[in-house]
Amino acid sequence: MKEHRLALATAVIVLVLSAGVALVLGRYTIGIATLWRIIVSVVSGQGPTAALATPSLVLWSVRLPRVLVAIFVGAGLSVAGAVFQSLFRNPLVSPSILGVSAGASFGATLAIFTAAGSPLAVESYAFFCGLIAVFLAYQVGRSSGNSVTSLVLAGVIVSSLFLAGVSFLKYKADPFQRLPSMVFWSMGSFNGVRWPDAVRVMCIVVPGLAGIYLLRWWLNPIALGDEDATALGINVPKARVFYIIIGTLVVAASVAASGNIGWVGLIMPHMARFIVGSDHDALIPFSALIGGAFMLVMDTLTRALPGGEIPVGVLEAFIGAPFFGYLLITSERKGGWQN
Amino acid sequence: MGPALSVADLSFDYRKKPVLLDIAFRVERGTICGLLGPNASGKTTLLKCINRVLLPKTGEITVEGQRIADMSRPEIARLMAVVPQQVSLVFAFTALQMVVMGRAARLAPLSLPSRKDRSDAQAALEDLGIGELAHRPFSELSGGERQLVLLARALHQDTPILLLDEPTAHLDFKNQFMIMDVVRDMTRAKGLATVVSLHDPNLAARYCTRLVVLKDGRLFREGPRETVFERQTLEAVYGMKVVVEETAEGSHVVLPMPSGGGP
Repeated sequence: MKEHRLALATAVIVLVLSAGVALVLGRYTIGIATLWRIIVSVVSGQGPTAALATPSLVLWSVRLPRVLVAIFVGAGLSVAGAVFQSLFRNPLVSPSILGVSAGASFGATLAIFTAAGSPLAVESYAFFCGLIAVFLAYQVGRSSGNSVTSLVLAGVIVSSLFLAGVSFLKYKADPFQRLPSMVFWSMGSFNGVRWPDAVRVMCIVVPGLAGIYLLRWWLNPIALGDEDATALGINVPKARVFYIIIGTLVVAASVAASGNIGWVGLIMPHMARFIVGSDHDALIPFSALIGGAFMLVMDTLTRALPGGEIPVGVLEAFIGAPFFGYLLITSERKGGWQN
Repeated sequence: MGPALSVADLSFDYRKKPVLLDIAFRVERGTICGLLGPNASGKTTLLKCINRVLLPKTGEITVEGQRIADMSRPEIARLMAVVPQQVSLVFAFTALQMVVMGRAARLAPLSLPSRKDRSDAQAALEDLGIGELAHRPFSELSGGERQLVLLARALHQDTPILLLDEPTAHLDFKNQFMIMDVVRDMTRAKGLATVVSLHDPNLAARYCTRLVVLKDGRLFREGPRETVFERQTLEAVYGMKVVVEETAEGSHVVLPMPSGGGP
């Protein structure tokens, strides 16, 4: 990791600066000086003065939880993407490969359809249906050989099933009351995130990221393939279950809190490999840092763009897809994305 | 002292079809045992069964008297290193990163390779004369260089048993001998018990002290090279007429019987 210290330090600086910008930008503008005074008042233990009460409230109650959720969702999806790509030895794999996003979409749609559509209900339904989808995919994959291919195909099958369920519920939903909520959720957004949401996301994503960070190097031999990893002394089926469980919890918590935000989990691991290489020792922390920063910048842009806030999933895809194309072409000129 | 590696009555079925039947042989330390046989005779399957990547139907494999069926994956990897025919990488690792992975079985579950693990990996590359390749992507190396890196990884794994699956299959004429010279030198210097499957019987005749000859998944013949490497055995196994000739150095080479055609 030593040879990548500069890249990691740069990513930390970019993340901190992005967080600073995200905290001051928005409908209610908070100047840098005001932000600084609020930080000083909190750190000194005096609390904000009357003049700082409103900006402090906006900062503490609205901006900070949203910034934290954006960072942890971005970091979580990016790291889960890197883990799943290595686990399945496929650079086209996204964190939703085993059907977690389709399951979560079904859960959220079901919560809205059954009028249990409080934010907590939507999150809970999405989280648990995401887990059920992965459990089903894993069982089907294991019963058909437990190979990488059978798991990926099982993910496709389960995703199709849950997406059919989503379509059915949308077809049956009240087009004026329920359907718009379903469509908006599917686009992904951090709008309306408050502290309880942030705490729920962080309670799962932070330990998940810590677990993956601690065991990051073991993804190196696993990325060589089952037989080679086994010969090197890795119990591949056990290791695969561990990473799938942790990755799925992280993705389910992220998708449940923010809707379908897919691109970050596909692009950021590629960008990380492009900069720090394939050694997971540096790849995992770097993916987390740039994933968090990318998601935060996207969310800040959705709030700052004229014409009202747009769902972050839409903007992310608008920017993410061409950026991925650029990465692909640039890396091809340097000898292919594998190098 | 008993043999370093002992394989007894080993059988393996694939989808209820017998692939290996009653295979038995022994390998002493400091010697190379060659697996010979035509395509689909079961050489690769036998190596995978020895390493328990595939689980045999029956039979017992022991390393210095210890049954490996009772061992965990890391325990087996601390006894046997495998050099696969080739490794197809999806993601780019450098040669040094590949060699460091040889230490996986000796690391505690939550630990990372230490500075010493990395410097030892560099030393393993240098021992094989390829230290300068350490930071080159593995996928950019030539076939011979890749095999040397995989050998360095096996060396770094530091095991008494070395299993090689057709290590010369994708190499040119010169590199075939270069790799086998390294295997022989490593085997002697470190007192390894080496098992190598080979397509070319002449490489087996040159480098192996014992031969295990397979045909249709059965043990056709097994024993010292001097007794096994002879015309009748090779003709029966490969299904072609051959001549075995003695070289000036006293070793043997096998050649196809002249067909009368020629270039």
